[in-house]
Amino acid sequence: MTRAPLRVVCYLNQFFGQLGGEDKAGVGPQTMEGAVGAARAVQQALGDEGRVVRTVVCGDNYAAEQGERAVIELLALVAAARPELVVAGPAFLAGRYGVACGALCAAVQAHLEIPAVSGMHAENPGVDLYRRQVHIVPTGAEATRMLQDARRLVALGLKLVRGEALGAPAVEGYFPQGVTRNVVAAASAAERATAMLLDKLAGRPFASEVPRPAFPPVPAPRLAKTLEGATIALVTDGGLVPRGNPDGIEALNATRYGAYSIEGKPGLEPAQYDNPHRGYDTSWVKQDPHRLVPVDVARELEQSGAIGKLHETVYSTVGVATTLAHSARMGREIAEQLRAAGVDAVILTST
Amino acid sequence: MRLELRWFAVDAVDPASATRLGGTRLEIDLAALQRVLAADPRLARMRLDCVHPGERCRIGRVFDVVAPRAKLDGGQDFPGVLGPVVRAGNGRTLALAGVAVVLTDQQAESVGALAVIDMAGPNAARSAFGATHNVVISAWPAPGTERSDYLAAVRLAGLKTAVYLARAAREAEADHVEAFALPPSPRVPAELAHLPRVAYVFQVHSHQRPTGLDEGILYGDPVRRMLPTIVHPNEVLDGAVLRGFMGRSATTWAIQHHPVIRALYAQHGRTLWFAGVVVTVAQATEPERVRSALLTAGLVAHALGADGAVFTKIGGGAPHVDMAQAAAQCEALGVKTTLIVEDMSTDGSADGMLLFDFPGVDALVNVGSSHEPLTLPPLDRVVGADDLAARLGAETRATYGTLCGAIEQVGATRVMAEVR
Repeated sequence: MTRAPLRVVCYLNQFFGQLGGEDKAGVGPQTMEGAVGAARAVQQALGDEGRVVRTVVCGDNYAAEQGERAVIELLALVAAARPELVVAGPAFLAGRYGVACGALCAAVQAHLEIPAVSGMHAENPGVDLYRRQVHIVPTGAEATRMLQDARRLVALGLKLVRGEALGAPAVEGYFPQGVTRNVVAAASAAERATAMLLDKLAGRPFASEVPRPAFPPVPAPRLAKTLEGATIALVTDGGLVPRGNPDGIEALNATRYGAYSIEGKPGLEPAQYDNPHRGYDTSWVKQDPHRLVPVDVARELEQSGAIGKLHETVYSTVGVATTLAHSARMGREIAEQLRAAGVDAVILTST
Repeated sequence: MRLELRWFAVDAVDPASATRLGGTRLEIDLAALQRVLAADPRLARMRLDCVHPGERCRIGRVFDVVAPRAKLDGGQDFPGVLGPVVRAGNGRTLALAGVAVVLTDQQAESVGALAVIDMAGPNAARSAFGATHNVVISAWPAPGTERSDYLAAVRLAGLKTAVYLARAAREAEADHVEAFALPPSPRVPAELAHLPRVAYVFQVHSHQRPTGLDEGILYGDPVRRMLPTIVHPNEVLDGAVLRGFMGRSATTWAIQHHPVIRALYAQHGRTLWFAGVVVTVAQATEPERVRSALLTAGLVAHALGADGAVFTKIGGGAPHVDMAQAAAQCEALGVKTTLIVEDMSTDGSADGMLLFDFPGVDALVNVGSSHEPLTLPPLDRVVGADDLAARLGAETRATYGTLCGAIEQVGATRVMAEVR
């Protein structure tokens, strides 16, 4: 039984869609029957496997200026053609075009639930913005190898349509999406570590299996006033919670934090607190919560005038196996609340 | 120091009226074994099961796995835990291949922290213990027994069983003999003096949870205040180091077959000179961590005179950073390092794989993500977890971390997390 050719929609900008150059960059979404302009390379790469049923074109400026609205309009045009695969670009080093390709592919995957692929040069801003969601094939800076590039996009797109398991980005030819997947290596970790060490010792190149963390160092801001006039807050990721854990902060992989009043309290009574943290031995903190959140000493400093005021709310979460995304969000929310409350500085205790 | 592991391949295990090894068939007198184990007042009752590769069976509540080993001519099996502290790593030791002693934990309420072993289906191939004949020990605590005492009793039963089984090979002819001989560290023959000297830094325990008094880890010591110290690699291979009671992706079995020590032995005298092993503990507080890292680097660089070092860790996130701090101190002293890490991300994003970023600590091998989902298909029989049989026998969503032996933090396994 022969399968009907795959229905493919191509997305191009005004230039590759042959509407014109920069003078036509304001043109809104258009749809054309069959393969037009650069989409002909996609059709050639598809051969008998599929048919470019429609080419959707939009001006670079329109896409950039209208943003989400342009995506919604383009998505409707794409959907009307009932495709099984969308090929956007390749956009090479064209920034506005690359961003539009990435945005449309992400929207197609999310709303039409079909695969979409694009192609770009590594320095196209669309790569950083969309490589996590969209399979983007690395291309040159310019359209000098259009057919070869189109073939690579199509080969990857066909694999996605068929639901075939994709290999590593370097093998399959797409920008890493920043997700991890367990695979089986040829040798044990111990053998690989020994071989890597011998390479490192001999000054030979070696490939670390873990990328360095992407998060940048955060410089501590300077306190603009003297400590005697400052309001200081206590914040911890060591897991201190009131007994009963009223906010249900998770024992690991936390997504929540709590704000707990210490108003009128000279210190923290052990019987009133608990600690669900699963990442360290909490026995000592349960015995005396001040080992984690030093309200006792901070009150002394407040009374002696060494600090202006102790903030009456303690923020606490469980920092163990917490995702970077949740950490960043909780940190931002806590910082916003502290700033709104007029807090000048924070003592952050970790474990 | 010269250790001989005398290997006996076993491909059938059967209950019988006497314990003996006939060819590759191990017959076990389970009643006699049970009598050997019965004397422990911390245990109320015990059951022994034998399960086999290919059997549609799942072992639940897995706590640890021990390889059958017994000293042949004197010496002490699992010194400091089963008997007095006698040096391990010298002489002849009987070792059965194809058989494992699986310990279960009948007390843990948070069974999510425990693991399973599948004897059939796709997960059997993901763990070394899906291919071994397993003697499963299920023991229930006597009333009033503290958790740590219960686990110590279960482990003691496992170690006794490992010795009991291996002793069945006393009269038999070994299939092959593996010799591990390493002279004292400074004695390098002149013709091999050009080889880079490589040490192994073995983090044997993490103090993230309270460590029990009977939680013997190094020659029976619970390593509560242990500072880094040097041991001969043979001591590790021969029962001086046991896994503690926190079992995250690590088994005593893997330590008895230590993959890093074997890998370094395999290259010893060829591409490197194996300079020795430093055992360390992941500390609970920052001052202890800094002190431990400092002393570790001193032993590696100044005492062993190593040019390079391989590091592994045990436990979770704090030990991962602890290991890296020690490696950074080594790099600062000019010792090149490679580290075996877990993928620490809990949401599958590459951003969270690593919890440190130190200068020079740039050569990392990973043992995969224990958080990656995995399906446990339905199997006919559940052993070691009667109370969970209905749930565990059915199809269940699990993770690599809950399949015992799928990921070994000491580097025995081939699973790795690849950035996609």
